[in-house]
Amino acid sequence: MGDDPSRGPMMTRVCWQLVEILSLMLHPDERQAVRGDLVEFGATGSQALRDVLGLVVRRQATPWTHWRPWLTLASLVVPLGMLLSVVSKSTADGSAVYVWMYANNWKWDDLGNAGFWYVFVETVFLVFKWYLALACWSWTSGFVLGSISPRMIPTNGVLFFLMLLFGALVGAPRYFAYVWPFRYGAKGPVFSLVFYRETFPLIVLALLVVGPSLWGIRQGERTERLRPLLRQVLWIAAMATLPAMVIQNPELSVFLKVFRRREIWDAWQIWLLQLVVYWPVAYLVASAIGRHRHRRMTSI
Amino acid sequence: MIGEFEYLILSAATRLREDAYGAAIRQEIEDATRHGCSIGALYTTLDRLEAKGFIKTRMGNPTPRRGGRPKRMVRVTAMGIRAASDFYTAVTRVSRDVSWETIRVAVR
Repeated sequence: MGDDPSRGPMMTRVCWQLVEILSLMLHPDERQAVRGDLVEFGATGSQALRDVLGLVVRRQATPWTHWRPWLTLASLVVPLGMLLSVVSKSTADGSAVYVWMYANNWKWDDLGNAGFWYVFVETVFLVFKWYLALACWSWTSGFVLGSISPRMIPTNGVLFFLMLLFGALVGAPRYFAYVWPFRYGAKGPVFSLVFYRETFPLIVLALLVVGPSLWGIRQGERTERLRPLLRQVLWIAAMATLPAMVIQNPELSVFLKVFRRREIWDAWQIWLLQLVVYWPVAYLVASAIGRHRHRRMTSI
Repeated sequence: MIGEFEYLILSAATRLREDAYGAAIRQEIEDATRHGCSIGALYTTLDRLEAKGFIKTRMGNPTPRRGGRPKRMVRVTAMGIRAASDFYTAVTRVSRDVSWETIRVAVR
């Protein structure tokens, strides 16, 4: 009955581990049935790997014969990946100045200065607000991708992260070179350091875009289990967040000229839109409270 | 009209009756065609047949022989039987007066 995954040679163990990982991309019921079939059929590690890989590829490729995945790719995956990489780069560059200010120019004597604390708190709040907004946009993007087609999550996820990588390495730098040719001007000393110019944007991308997006995808995958009304509310919040990302970021003013028109910022709708951006925080807190109450109820 | 692989699955599942599930159908097809049958092709075709209403599937109980994992049980519907029957009729009709054995020997 095939080779035993736990006692076979190294290659067999690796194959079965890959089978285990790959089969995570299948629906749980199908995963169980397929793994059972492989055991019953006496498949060797390499046969099992070939079989599961074939099934996963077919599962992911089949939907591409219809128009929907192409529409999702063109209307969500590519634009979101590019927008997030631009916003991430801009947030990283904006906050790099403050990080450099405190990390590279730290003086212990400043701690006794009341003015230092005033500026420090203000800066921390400002940077935190930027970071939270970026994390929320990323989470929302992942949430939309995860809920729009749970079966396509592996493919859409990989394409989305490839898009982010492309945006971070090629798209965003070229975009900024086009929009603001003399962008770094007075910030020259900060960006003369390779860390702030090259590494810091990638750290921000990994922590505030890739991480939250993955989390959002996981949460979006679970929306099928929610009540239809709640699902609609979440979708409306998500849909409001994405235009807010374009409107609120001055770096994206090439796409929309809205940001330059200062008079619109007094409108209450824009204030509301700015608050809606943080909906993932409210959603996650509410979910955590709900889970906690459910656990307490079941333990009684 | 169904495809030849769909026909093979419908025939194997009908033959197996209550014992029709992934691994058993695969074995039947491999025995009949003397060719390998990939799990990928089998499971995606099962989905297609189910979407067309030709079969119904459900998860069976876990068995120790399968490492405690359940089977995906398959039942051919009346529509599936009709589709397979139509395919068979078409194949036998189009093959009338054609003796493949004779032609094969002649070609050799």
